[in-house]
Amino acid sequence: MSDASVMALPVEDPEEIEAETGRRFEVNEVAEGADWNPVEQVVLRRRSIRKYKRKQVAPHLIRRILEAGRYAPSQGNCQPWKFVVVRDADMIQGMEDFCVESCRKLSRGLDYANYEKGSLKYVLTRAKAKLFNRLQPNMLHPVPVSAITGIAQGRFAVFHRAPTVVLLLMDKRGIGTPEIDIGICGTNIVLAAHSLGLGTCWIGFSKFLNQSHEWCARLGVEAPYEISEAITVGYPIGDPTRPIPRETHEIAWFEGGEKRVLY
Amino acid sequence: MALLSKTERRHFPDWDDAAQCLYQRVTIDLEVCDGCKLCTVVCPANVLELFGDKGKKKVRVKENHRGCISCNNCRAICDTGAIAATRPYDFVGFYRQLGRGDFSMPRKF
Repeated sequence: MSDASVMALPVEDPEEIEAETGRRFEVNEVAEGADWNPVEQVVLRRRSIRKYKRKQVAPHLIRRILEAGRYAPSQGNCQPWKFVVVRDADMIQGMEDFCVESCRKLSRGLDYANYEKGSLKYVLTRAKAKLFNRLQPNMLHPVPVSAITGIAQGRFAVFHRAPTVVLLLMDKRGIGTPEIDIGICGTNIVLAAHSLGLGTCWIGFSKFLNQSHEWCARLGVEAPYEISEAITVGYPIGDPTRPIPRETHEIAWFEGGEKRVLY
Repeated sequence: MALLSKTERRHFPDWDDAAQCLYQRVTIDLEVCDGCKLCTVVCPANVLELFGDKGKKKVRVKENHRGCISCNNCRAICDTGAIAATRPYDFVGFYRQLGRGDFSMPRKF
């Protein structure tokens, strides 16, 4: 590209252009301290639901929340997703059993808390775990490890006996970082679901299913797709929608030539 | 100054040491709890239990649990407001929480 073509970029006043059209485009002014609008209410009240009623969700509602996913933004508009919807209890149970077995193997091989402190098994497992922890610091954070052992011991579930499971498949050829696009797509889905009175939960351990040829064949998961995440959908038990306090996070705010730190 | 020291970056907390893995602490106001049992049902990690005599049951956190996942659903579902999360989770070393302020309800700006 020549310098001239770079220089030719128009430097026009967008507001002037808008005025020239003769149409009126009002700015929506929101007053300070205004009430939460319905979308904000949904965002603030959504929770990850892990206990569901047995009642199945009507098919049109699942189609409806997937529409919200379909309209998610993605890098280069590449839309690197595909959905697998599982609504048969025995099939979900089969997926659960496979993931539980994977957790059992992982827990046995890595979680030294399973063994008597000071025993040879403890010492060896701990040495291995510390090395893997360094190599895989995200996957082997204490929280998922404790969940994996909880699942292995039957204290915690993978798909939480939800009546519907939506698997989010990622096209590995997506533009840039398709993992992020899957996250945005799923966020649209869970927020839309909450607005319809449904409960949802992200299931990262669904990724274990990628390791099973049998399950990949049955679910129709093949390259260039892989299971990136799953979302369980059902009706929540009780009404867990009360807003609760959350941690505040540091905000660096640059304005007027100054930096302020807010929370 | 780096946010995490060299020692911290190398220290992966022991999964079986409660002093290194600080899970969320939930406290229950027994004056207010009416023993409705809903929180024990929704707790995915099964760390809450009822205790006390029939008709006067209250909820408590099980002893020696290794499982609260800080989901806060017990608090969100409690009609009486008896449950409060009094400690966020945190870890020593590599996973120490950074840049966090106090807990706050949704704030209208």
